[in-house]
Amino acid sequence: MASSTNVHLSPAELSYLHTSLSLNPPIRPDGRSPTQYRPLSAETGILPGTNGSARICFADGTEAIVGVKAEVEKTRRRWDDDTIFGENQNQEEGEEQDEGEEQGSSDWVELTVEIPGYRDDDSGTVFLGQMLCEALLADGGFVRRLRINRRFHWKLYLDILLISPPLSYPLPLLSLTTHLALLATRLPKLKSEGDEDPFFDDDWAAAPYLYARNPTTKRVTERPPVTLLVMAVGGNVIFDPSKEELAVADVVLAVSVGDDASSREGGMDVDGRSNNSGRNLKLLSIRTVDPPSRLTPPGVANAANSAYGHAQVVSTGANQKMPEARQTESEAVEGVWKPPRGGAKAVVMGALVQKVLVRGGVADEVLDALEGVDTS
Amino acid sequence: MADRRRINGPPGATMAPVFEDDAGQPEIKNGKGRDRAPNIIRKTFLKTGVTPSASGSAYLEFEGSSKSGVSGLKLSCTVHGPRSLPRSSPFSPHIVLSAHVKYAPFATKQRRGYLRDPSERDLGTHLETALRGAIIADRWPKSGVDIIISIIEGDQDRETSKSQGDETWDMMNVLSGCITVASAALADAGIDCVDTVAGGVAALVQDAGEDSTPRIVVDPIPSDHEKVLGACCVAYLPTRDEVTNLWFKGDLPAADAGLYTQLVENGIQASRTANRVLVECLGEATS
Repeated sequence: MASSTNVHLSPAELSYLHTSLSLNPPIRPDGRSPTQYRPLSAETGILPGTNGSARICFADGTEAIVGVKAEVEKTRRRWDDDTIFGENQNQEEGEEQDEGEEQGSSDWVELTVEIPGYRDDDSGTVFLGQMLCEALLADGGFVRRLRINRRFHWKLYLDILLISPPLSYPLPLLSLTTHLALLATRLPKLKSEGDEDPFFDDDWAAAPYLYARNPTTKRVTERPPVTLLVMAVGGNVIFDPSKEELAVADVVLAVSVGDDASSREGGMDVDGRSNNSGRNLKLLSIRTVDPPSRLTPPGVANAANSAYGHAQVVSTGANQKMPEARQTESEAVEGVWKPPRGGAKAVVMGALVQKVLVRGGVADEVLDALEGVDTS
Repeated sequence: MADRRRINGPPGATMAPVFEDDAGQPEIKNGKGRDRAPNIIRKTFLKTGVTPSASGSAYLEFEGSSKSGVSGLKLSCTVHGPRSLPRSSPFSPHIVLSAHVKYAPFATKQRRGYLRDPSERDLGTHLETALRGAIIADRWPKSGVDIIISIIEGDQDRETSKSQGDETWDMMNVLSGCITVASAALADAGIDCVDTVAGGVAALVQDAGEDSTPRIVVDPIPSDHEKVLGACCVAYLPTRDEVTNLWFKGDLPAADAGLYTQLVENGIQASRTANRVLVECLGEATS
């Protein structure tokens, strides 16, 4: 599993990390502020053979490429769809059908994740793929874009490749790259009308973007979702944690947020700049990521360690039979690492989510930063 | 002019007949609805020790809906271990937990293959996260435990032939059942846990009808409602008041944080109810 790749840190190092991350303000190993992302470089449209592509390289050396390919596919008909060959439909039924078919279906999108060194059916890889797919399909708005007419739709293949070895949990990287690739995706311009077999304009320059641009400002009006990785440690909330930080996390959440453009239309200024402050975020999905801290080795306190002059206490009954049990049941000692046990309070999880969604918070910042990337 | 040289089939396609149930009252079918209070989960049957060859096992069944054609969820879980890790595997200071969730090929409307598909692997990962928080892992260094859940019957409405995308919401119910049954089987196997973890689902649903407002219900059956707007599955440890796994899916405006909190609280409430069933079942097994 990608999140729990063994970090080779000793209990003493883990304890040091945990303490410094629990300080107020926390001190992160790479000197970032708690809400700061790793610096990254991004480019789009790097693969000429795809409908849209993007590449992001994080400063720590992890790099991902996403390619989007589209195919025309026949829409599977449902049993109650009695408008086969477009005949025998009375007017009101026809309208109802239209409304129903606007829905689209989740199997119009196929997303695969490839992480070097892991099998593609590895549970961690599958988990990542499902998480990214879930956010994309959550509101049903995305698949609606793929509809061509009542008989055909686009089938979109999103192939996510991590090029570098997974030096940290790659979720934020993959999510941001997918976001940019989708923004850069263009589908050929449709020339046919109605329910005819689709026929496309072969001028690639005329191809419209999957996410439409505002014709005057050239800005994207709606945006795909992003998934943020956020963790809590000792009362602090830390965004975009690195591998070492994840190793001492109390709880790790992956939160997907989308940009609710429909409610923003009204508040748009004449110059189209108002959306930086007035972005309406929506919560699409939350998943708990199994924190690798649960798999770290525990430290042994000096008081319990016979190598440090501690005489073996002659204890009674069960304790004597199970030395390990005695050791692990000892209460927490300052400076001795103990892997977290149990879960997290619902309030803590709520606070994490709140911190992501708050207006002008990290999700806003990330979306703003992504707006700066040239996707044309 | 029609082609007369060949024997042609009837013009237009034919469809296999679909019979309406309760032929007399089609409006009841449309006004399908939930017959439980919003905060009541379905009746649950849970029994431990059903598989003698495994070190721990449990069987769980949810009551089906009052509507005909909707069968309840049926899960069977076996726990193998704790047993020593194979010699080739590296040292682990903790118990190595692996969870497999598999639908029986006949469990759902659409046949499932024998290989686990991504959604099943995904369920397995969620289950692992939920259980890892509950197990006291450092009491068994160098050992492993396998948790295998087979879904004998998924709760799906077999009467609705159109795919409404209910499968995605069904996964939540299945996961909550998996968590509860795995917890019972772990207790049956005698593996130390900080508490019995149980799963609960809460959903924000929209009922059929013009003037219905979205409301929150626990343990939803997606086919009972017009639309599910969002759902969350919570794995909860009642005595520690902690959540080990939270899975939320849906489309909620961020401005309305209260809605999210309410959903999670209702999920916790559902899981508390499931936990009562679990504790009672374990009590019966030991007495």
